[in-house]
Amino acid sequence: MPLLHEIGFVLNGSPIRLSVPVTMTVLEMLRGPLNLTGTKYGCGEGECGACTVLVDGLSLNACILLAVECDGREITSIEGLAADPAAAGLRRAFVEAGAVQCGFCTPGMVVQGKYLLDTRPGADRAAIARGLEGNLCRCTGYRKVVDAIERAGTTPAEVADD
Amino acid sequence: MHNSDGSNTAVTVRAYHAPQSVSAATALLAQGETAVIAGGTDLVPQQRTGSGTWQPVLVSIRRIKALRGVREQAGQLWLGPLTTVSELSCDPLIARYAPVLARAADCFASSQIRNAATLGGNICNASPAGDLLVPLMLLDAEVELSCSRDGVISMRCLPIEEFLVGPGSTQRQPAELLTGIRLPLVDAARIFVFEKFGTRPALDIATVSVGLLAVAAGDCLQQVRVALGAVAPVVLRARAAEAVLEGRRLDNEAITAAVAAALAEINPIDDVRASGWYRSELVCNLLTRVLRNAVAA
Amino acid sequence: MTDSQTTQQTLIGQRIPKQDAPEKVNGRARYVHDINLPGQLVGKILRSGRLHARILAIDVSAARALPGVHAVITAADVPTQTIGVTRDNPPLKGDKVRCERDEIAAVAAETEELADAALALITVEYEDLPLLLDAAAAREAEAPLIHDDKPGNIALQFDYEHGDVVQGETESDVVIEDRFGLHYVTHACMGVSGVIADFDDLTGNLTLYSNTQVPFLHKREFAEVLELDPNRIRIIQPTIGGGFGSKLDIYPFEPICVYLARAAGRPVKLVFSRAEEFLASPTRQPARVLLRSGCRDDGRLTFRKVDMLLDNGGYTSWGATTPMVMMQTFSSLYRVPHCLYHSTAAYTNNPYAGSFRGYGNLQATFAVEAHMDKLADAIGMDPLEFRLLNAQEAGEVSGQGMHFRSCGFKDCLRTAADRSDYRARRQQNIEQRNTGPVQRGVGMASMLHVGGGAKIYPSDGCGTILKLDDFGHVTILTGASEIGQGSETVLSQLVCEELGLPLTSVTVVNNDTDITPWDVGVHASRTTFIAGNAAVGAARLAKEKILKAAAAATGQPMQELDLRSGGIVQRQDGSTLMTLDKLLRSMHFQDKADLVITNYYYEPPSVHQDDQHKGDVSAAYAWACQVVEVEVDSDTGVVRLLKCTAAHDVGRVINRLGIEGQIEGGIVMGQGYALAEDLMIRAGHCLNPGFRDYKLITAPEVPELDLSFIETMDGEGPRGAKGVGEAPAICVAAAVANAIENATGVRIYQLPFTPENVYRALHAAAHDPPV
Repeated sequence: MPLLHEIGFVLNGSPIRLSVPVTMTVLEMLRGPLNLTGTKYGCGEGECGACTVLVDGLSLNACILLAVECDGREITSIEGLAADPAAAGLRRAFVEAGAVQCGFCTPGMVVQGKYLLDTRPGADRAAIARGLEGNLCRCTGYRKVVDAIERAGTTPAEVADD
Repeated sequence: MHNSDGSNTAVTVRAYHAPQSVSAATALLAQGETAVIAGGTDLVPQQRTGSGTWQPVLVSIRRIKALRGVREQAGQLWLGPLTTVSELSCDPLIARYAPVLARAADCFASSQIRNAATLGGNICNASPAGDLLVPLMLLDAEVELSCSRDGVISMRCLPIEEFLVGPGSTQRQPAELLTGIRLPLVDAARIFVFEKFGTRPALDIATVSVGLLAVAAGDCLQQVRVALGAVAPVVLRARAAEAVLEGRRLDNEAITAAVAAALAEINPIDDVRASGWYRSELVCNLLTRVLRNAVAA
Repeated sequence: MTDSQTTQQTLIGQRIPKQDAPEKVNGRARYVHDINLPGQLVGKILRSGRLHARILAIDVSAARALPGVHAVITAADVPTQTIGVTRDNPPLKGDKVRCERDEIAAVAAETEELADAALALITVEYEDLPLLLDAAAAREAEAPLIHDDKPGNIALQFDYEHGDVVQGETESDVVIEDRFGLHYVTHACMGVSGVIADFDDLTGNLTLYSNTQVPFLHKREFAEVLELDPNRIRIIQPTIGGGFGSKLDIYPFEPICVYLARAAGRPVKLVFSRAEEFLASPTRQPARVLLRSGCRDDGRLTFRKVDMLLDNGGYTSWGATTPMVMMQTFSSLYRVPHCLYHSTAAYTNNPYAGSFRGYGNLQATFAVEAHMDKLADAIGMDPLEFRLLNAQEAGEVSGQGMHFRSCGFKDCLRTAADRSDYRARRQQNIEQRNTGPVQRGVGMASMLHVGGGAKIYPSDGCGTILKLDDFGHVTILTGASEIGQGSETVLSQLVCEELGLPLTSVTVVNNDTDITPWDVGVHASRTTFIAGNAAVGAARLAKEKILKAAAAATGQPMQELDLRSGGIVQRQDGSTLMTLDKLLRSMHFQDKADLVITNYYYEPPSVHQDDQHKGDVSAAYAWACQVVEVEVDSDTGVVRLLKCTAAHDVGRVINRLGIEGQIEGGIVMGQGYALAEDLMIRAGHCLNPGFRDYKLITAPEVPELDLSFIETMDGEGPRGAKGVGEAPAICVAAAVANAIENATGVRIYQLPFTPENVYRALHAAAHDPPV
């Protein structure tokens, strides 16, 4: 039986206390005991970004981040952004720009997009593309993902439906 | 090969500690059988892919505030080992005194990894291809190693070149903690180049990386430093090439001689990313290009 | 869009957001990885790691004794049925192993850790056998046999001929012959392979949660291999994390998961790790091509002679059948009076190939388009002129019997050339050669691919059921699977266009064999065309039924009525007579109550190839030309793709946003094939089973893209559309090869154009690249 360690953190705005195996990753914790499956396993070694989450506002790969290392921190997963009106413009931009095909990389892309908008507002297309270099996508060719983040960064949060 | 990942059960972690001070951390390290975790971006994947094993005691140093920050201190630039790669690329002091380090930080892995990976971790992981090690070698960095004996902390300081021993191997003793990185405070205008070979801006293990640091004096270079990554068991300073270049007019003859000297200093291997032969060709062509551009600049 | 009239008028050609995008963006879409059934166990497979060995003994007793392990199975515990295109692949290997990934045993346990621990307790005794690591070696007379019943190690052979190549050669002024080498790549879908098997022993019901691209075909095949009643098999497709052809065949992990569920009496979920995905998924078919081509001084092609050797790997999956598509490019992309084609797929101890977007066409196009440039050069003709001179046109029937009823090939060639300034740049680049280490090049390549289904199976059809109900809501039940390509949106557009409904009034059900009508599967770029025609057919039946009822309700002649904007309107002036929902309700509640439910099965008017591989296998054909611009650094061998100008004959654009996404993604996948991806199989072992060293293209590497859609309004296509799913990936590598030649004067015949390979080629290094 692996060593358990109790941790406390804020997940998508709610406080959580949980005992986790010390070598469990945040990805395993989210998808396992916390039953939040929006964060995806793509590679397990920090190479693809499908598991991107925000920890204290920084985008990180949940698959190589130990859960115990998040004690006292604030984690935002895609489920948090899905319930966040402040992220609605970004989410809508992903839909409208055609940035989604099979959608498996999409939650990680949206979280990384949020990080880029938060930390590099007004970034140009080249900077957005660089910001996405850790998020692999096999379907879209990335152009429409860049479109989405660019659009979300230049469109006011409240946009008309047409 | 059945347990290709996620199943490295050889060592069971029996204790996890997240000390808040260097003294508490070094006291834990003194007891032995420890693994130090900072960003975890090397350590965790190494466990997952089976290229590394846990130690029975896992010591997280994330909470130690004394290991953070970048500041001028005693005529040197002091960098906390917990400084993340992202922080390196946007720190004003580094931009001023060690822009080559900021440049290398920008070529490092991905945004997510840069947000987690630490300077100290990159140094202690001692990869022959370590992106930050090339600029640290150029800058004559020194590392502070602290350990605790009978409750008393002692510190020693080693040049980075001495600290790095081989792939994944350093002079750090198991009881020692990397507690700081020191760079000489040089404000003079210097030419600096960091060229990481690859087809992507980042998210790549360097096939070859080339660094140059020098002071331009007319059509000569002075205080020339050349460092090469991924062409030897450790990132190395090409001292023979430096000697060829020092104070000499940077003409084709000098460049050819310097490149020949550098090629004699490297010992590249064949691996999945490149053959040794190709790495040598890259060192030759990239160093030539870097030096020619230095002339043009 | 301010002009609501315009948007009301047609949904066709608009930019329509993908209907399932919101749930994917919000992380709510449930992939197989995200589904957990009550009582579910974790399944894992023990793989051989040996390439060729006899299995002497397998001891699973210690694994079986481990608490928390509910099933441990080997070949001895399961039916002796085999899977694969030629049924040569037992899901669990009993007598011998033939490649690195081979499945020896499997376990089902309470947790992943326990499953791993159980695998570690299984011991296997092997006796190593001589290795065959190369298709040519496998064909030598004294070569050992990989399968005892396959003499000469021949898996599959294909021969095709039209005209007489001997005569063709005598008519030629120029003849060239070259060898081309195509490497291993793999699909690397972002969602790893996985399946959940839920078996009920009392009813014999099996429910599979599967990523398959061909649920109805697999239902039958699963029944055979599992020795189950096909009527008791239900396949549910959760959201699929990428397909690209990888899920067109049954692979061993799927029956193994069912065996485990049956043995354990509990649902079992078996999901790959990423490393396992690289080691145990199909690859693209590698190939060696010997191509001999000729033309006359006036620029007319005279003949093509092709001899291909394919490394089949240990077992036969769809890769071995890709010659059926390859031969079409050799015989019919251009007018070739004489063509002779032969291919042999030979068993080796290497990985085996499946189908992969383009289905052999990337490989064939790479060779053909190199020769188009070389022949043009040899006779001093501009390569664009040379292609235009030999290009197929509408109305022609190729030597292989393909009838090109709509054909925008020449438009594609001219458009791509004009928009990329191909001629001027090509000349300029030649003049600039050798002026410095970094040179620019432009290269052109074209392609022909099926765009109206492909008649491979007894039927190439698709069924659709439409249900219109209260509130004017329409439910489309279609057999066509959604794997990210956007079929559910295109089908919704086509149906809503017929019925004059907004897209908000439609739901698509497309993922459950117990509910949806039959379809042959999502492959061969067929879904927009085939499923689209089926949906249009069902919608037209529904429209007729509704208008009939409307005529009765309004007392107006049916032919003067139409459906627009959610209502019944006067065809002439568009004035609304009544809303659709009101009419539908009145149909429910009248004396002889009626529900609007229609079904339509579309079978394209294509034919099977005859025994000489001739025939009009598709109801429409897609064409394209792409021009790429590259920068080649001869100091490093790095080739950067700067721009891709693509002109595609798509019949008609249905969803502009969706088709752009398909073309952009396909080009970038082709870019990966050309420049970055290299599944390194050395001595039978995969050296780079991870994203660190198997390099997908990343966002900053994406070139400037200029897309043109040539709308030829295909007569058979739904609203004129043709299939385009595979097309964009096909030309890129061929165009890049031509561009590198334009930049440097050096032609490279072996993919991939990774830096070291290019560097060696440019410098003709004494060191040969590692084989």
